[in-house]
This record gives sequence, structure tokens and C-alpha cells, in this order.
Amino acid sequence: MISAEGVGVRFLFDRQRRVITAGAARLRRIGSETWGLRGVSFTIDPGEGVALLGASGSGKTTLLRLLGGVYTPDEGRLSVGGRVGTLLSVEAGLLSLLTGRENALQLGVLAGLSRTQARAALERVKSRSRLDVYFERPVSSYSQGMRARLGFAVAEATGPQIVLLDEVHEAFDHEFRQVIEDCGRRIREQGGIIVAAGHDHAMLERLCDRALHLEHGAIHADGPIAPVRDAYLAASAAA
Amino acid sequence: MAAPHSEAFDAQEARLERARTRSGWLAAHVASLRRTMDLLSVLTAADLKFRYGRGPFQVVRWLFDPFALVGVYLVLITVVLDRPGTAPGLSIACAIVPFQLVMLGVGNAMGALTLRAPIITNMAFRRTLLPLSSVLTEALAFGASLLLIALMMGIYDVAPTAAIAWLPVVLAVNLILATGFAYPASLFALWFRELKPFALSFVRILFFLGPGLVPLSETSAGARPLLELNPLTGLFESYRDLFLYGRSPSAGQLVYPLAFGVVLLAIALPVYRREQREFAKVVG
Repeated sequence: MISAEGVGVRFLFDRQRRVITAGAARLRRIGSETWGLRGVSFTIDPGEGVALLGASGSGKTTLLRLLGGVYTPDEGRLSVGGRVGTLLSVEAGLLSLLTGRENALQLGVLAGLSRTQARAALERVKSRSRLDVYFERPVSSYSQGMRARLGFAVAEATGPQIVLLDEVHEAFDHEFRQVIEDCGRRIREQGGIIVAAGHDHAMLERLCDRALHLEHGAIHADGPIAPVRDAYLAASAAA
Repeated sequence: MAAPHSEAFDAQEARLERARTRSGWLAAHVASLRRTMDLLSVLTAADLKFRYGRGPFQVVRWLFDPFALVGVYLVLITVVLDRPGTAPGLSIACAIVPFQLVMLGVGNAMGALTLRAPIITNMAFRRTLLPLSSVLTEALAFGASLLLIALMMGIYDVAPTAAIAWLPVVLAVNLILATGFAYPASLFALWFRELKPFALSFVRILFFLGPGLVPLSETSAGARPLLELNPLTGLFESYRDLFLYGRSPSAGQLVYPLAFGVVLLAIALPVYRREQREFAKVVG
């Protein structure tokens, strides 16, 4: 289960408009601050699939990073119960100089597996990602879709109860989208949670039955995906 | 009799519970340590690939990197300047080798966040281990640097003595001091990105503000107390004691850099722990 109460994420900037940490802000003059999210409250129950809708800069990525533990809330309370699998950027956490196998081992361990478990999962990651011989090649030679496939296969191998996807699933080919959808369905049937952001509404609708519409870092609407999506599209068209 | 039996039983239960708690505590700590080792090993293995590339040249680069880095100093001292004194090339190698671990550890730690930006912005993990893994990467490189000292001992015909048994202790102090420098260096690079080269220059200056080029005994009496404030001084002198003079290092030579490293860690680690929550905002 995921529960957020009045959650906010703040970004501090120096005078050159570069993001700085709170520690740096104590040492240097702050240029400005902005809240990527503010006053965000919701709960997501086991078995739910939630789509995040909104224009670019509305806070979708910030919210996903917050749920994935990449950011911590600067205000409010957040509780995320369960092992989290993330695919939050096209790079999917992959380091270009390493091969698919080396990346899979590293990401598996960083995601919570032991080295032995991560090694044991490598062949499954290889077959699941369908990278074949490319699995032994540096990731710098991969297409975006291949990177996303590897990132997803590693996230899946860690046995996540909560899967967070940020637009990257849109880089997948038709065949692998089916894999994602099947995996998402299975995780939800087992009481897991899917939270996905993106602009491919048809795919989001197949993965999720509920949507949060974000606007300027706050929740504008929360409900079944079809009406929330329609209202969002109507508002976008009117703007 | 029931009550005493019950008390004994309760006491036994309490003892068992304490033992269970203790074993639970121990098991949790063993599991945590194992997890830390796993994380450090994958981070360091990846770092080594970045540092030395891959393929057959990886080993060649590992072996020759220290020679390329410090060879210029050695050529300058032993050939060009033709300095007098006891085995000047070995003396300077005893300073350059431990210095390289500190210097490269600092340099690597300062670039660790940028290097791992794709991971930092994609998932949560123990980011506090990043500077330590940077130092461990350089510690492996350091293994090749020790060959430089062996080579110099051969050139100057200096035989190893039993004092070499102190090497693990000296290496441990060297590693702790390098780690102590790595955490504040990583924070400095995060807070003052444009000043990174100055931080490296500052560490480089520490070499020259210590007995790097000449042993402490050859420096002026007036400068000596000041040079001894430099944590690298004790380290350089300890290496010279082991490899050049064949005697055990003095306690003060080891305790001061050790204490310096521990104090740096005690100050920087809590700050780093607090700051790591915002790394993704900065590198993302």
C-alpha cells in the first residue's frame, strides 16, 4: 500500500538557476526555490494500477521518483510498503560503458538482491530482455528500446510488489509492450501496485484503472482513468 | 514450590529471550554487513571498468598507470636532479605511493555522483557507500603502485626487513585517511562544482607541504613542527621506515593520520548522509 499525506518536494536553485542541496543552500546564496510537488495526498491500495496524467512539468516524474525513494519528501508523510521496481528514465539506471550482463548484476544488487541471487537471475534477465548476444555488449551500443527492455527485465527479476514506470514504456516495441502489460496484470493480481506516467493513454488504460491528473505539482483530479483522462484532454485542448 | 519454579522458568525464558534478541541482533548485523559487502563489490567492480576499461589492456593499464603518474617525479629526482641522500628515488616513492591513494581517491569520489547519475535518478540505494567504493577502486590500483616501491628497492639494493610486517597496519591507516578525505571531497564537488579543480590542487599542495620530496629528517628544524601537522607526514615517514630504513614506524606517525581520517569521517559522514537524500535533484 502507498499512502501520501500533504507530501511536498522542494527544489532550491542557486543564482545560476542550478539545483542545489539544502546543505549547499546554507553555504551559498539561494537564487530561488520551487515546489515540484506540494500538498499531495492519496492512497493506493494493493492490486491497483494508477496512471499519472498531466502536461510536462506537472510533477509526474517528481511523484514517481518520490515513490521510488529517489527523492525524499521535504514536507508531509509518505509510506510505501513493498519492494519497489523502477524504470524512471530511458537510461533505466544503466551505465553505458558496462555490458548488459554487468549492468544487470549491478542493478540487481543495488535493487536489493544479494550477489548470488543477482547472478542466478542473469540468464532470466537475458532471455526476458530478448537481448541475445547484445547482453554481452556495452550498453552504449543499445537502442533506447533495448535499454528500456533490459531495465524492465532487471526490475522484474527483483520481484517487485510495486512497479513505477515513467514514460519509458513508450520506448518499447509492440511485442514488448505486451510483455509489460502481462507483467503488470500479474503483479496486480498478486496484490502488487503499478504506477505509470506517460502520454500513451491507450497503453496506460490497459495497465491502470485509476488516474491522478497532476497540474503544477498538485493533484487536480483523482478517479477512474477514462473520465480523468477525458477531462485532462479537454482542458489541454481548451488551453 | 510452584512460585520458585515459575521464577526460575521466567528467568530461563528471559535468558533465552535475551539470547534470542542477541542472536537476532547479531544476525541482523551479519546480514547488514553482507549486504554492504555486496553493494561495495558491485560498485567497485563497475568503477574499475570505468577506470581501466576492458580487454587485455585493462591489466596493462593497471600495472603501468602508477608508473605513468609518478614516473616523472622519480625521473626528476633520481636522474635529472641527481640528489644526494639515502636512496632518493625510493624515498620519494615511499611518499608518492601513499599520496596517490589519497589523491586518486579524492578525484574519484568527486566524480562519483556524475558517473552514477543514471542510477541515482532511477532507484534508491545506499548512496553513502559511493565515496568508499571510489577509494576501494583506487586501493586496488594502489596494489600496482606498491610494485614501484619494490622496483626502487631493487634499484637501490635495499633489502626488506622484518619491519615489513607493519605493512598491513600502515596500509589500513592509508586507506582510512584516503576515505576520510573522500567524503568531504565528494561533498565539496557537490556544493561547489566549479571549484573541483581547486580541491584537487589543495590535496596536491599537501604533498609539497609535507616531507614528500625529502624525508622529514632533511627538512629545516624550524619547518618540522609545521610539517608534522600535515596528516600525510606520518604516513610518508611510516612508508620510509618500513621500506627504506627497515624499522617499525613510531606510534605517533600512525596515530595522527589515523585520528585525522577518523575525525574527517566523523564530521563529513553525517553531513553526507543528510545530503545524499538530495543527490538525485542535483544530478537529475
